[in-house]
Amino acid sequence: MASDSPIASRKVVVHLRATGDAPILKQAKFKIAGTDRFSKVIDFLCRQLHRETLFVYVNSAFSPSPDELVNDLYDNFGFDGKLVVNYACSMAWG
Amino acid sequence: MASDQATCDGSLSSTDFQNAANAFAQKWNKFNSGFPEWSWIDCSNRLGFATHGVTEGYLSLQKVIFPRSMEEEHDKGSSNDQEEPFDTATLVQSTIDSDNGDRYDFHVVYSSSYRVPVLYFHAQTSDGQPLNIGEIEKNLPSKSSDVLMESKWTFITQQEHPYLNRPWYMLHPCGTSEWMKLLLADHAHNSTDRYLVSWFTVVGQVFGLKLPLEMLKS
Repeated sequence: MASDSPIASRKVVVHLRATGDAPILKQAKFKIAGTDRFSKVIDFLCRQLHRETLFVYVNSAFSPSPDELVNDLYDNFGFDGKLVVNYACSMAWG
Repeated sequence: MASDQATCDGSLSSTDFQNAANAFAQKWNKFNSGFPEWSWIDCSNRLGFATHGVTEGYLSLQKVIFPRSMEEEHDKGSSNDQEEPFDTATLVQSTIDSDNGDRYDFHVVYSSSYRVPVLYFHAQTSDGQPLNIGEIEKNLPSKSSDVLMESKWTFITQQEHPYLNRPWYMLHPCGTSEWMKLLLADHAHNSTDRYLVSWFTVVGQVFGLKLPLEMLKS
């Protein structure tokens, strides 16, 4: 699949999808600059849900590194004009 | 293969572990050329005979170099994130030919009690001194060391390496099947092949190691 070259000013629509026992957000979609790091999405979720840690993953397949660029995630795993990000409250460790 | 069913609950059978290990090592070595390679260490005959005819062994990645000042550099870098040229390569730290970096060996060993892969690791300084947990913590991204502070012995713990019979550090596997279940939910058909790739995106983060995105596409 050929991906468009990232446009500096592009905004990406992130669709936040709760899984398991995670609470659903009132606002499940938000826009973020493509040049932002994925850590911004994680921080936003943690703030909204008042949790220190969350299990955040993309495409039901992997957990992106926090320093991944939103643009790159969108280009590789976005579809329908948005990037679907799943979150669960399960702790990864212990 | 019917064995794929085993991964629906986030766990893996020992036979599938070896298949998953091969698939992961092949993908890694294809997309991370120039970096240390994962190799399968065969331990079938470690007791002098093959146990139940099953191949036993583990995956090994050796001599990944972590520069001593990783955390400081990371903090410095985050202030001007936008200007950093984005590098799709992973394991940036291993390309630094630094004499004073710490060397990490990683082993992926199958746990038959948890039925999941477990990451074992051992770290030493450039002159061969083993690192203790406090020193290892200094090499980890700040997020990982926060978790380490909160749950010191459930997160990283020291245990006898099942094949080397020496104490190694390991990431505690008790939550693994729970989050692996999430990562495999939509991919039941070829989950064995993807298992370790998905798994590594989580455990690698503890050390700031990431996989190239091309490797994550199905």
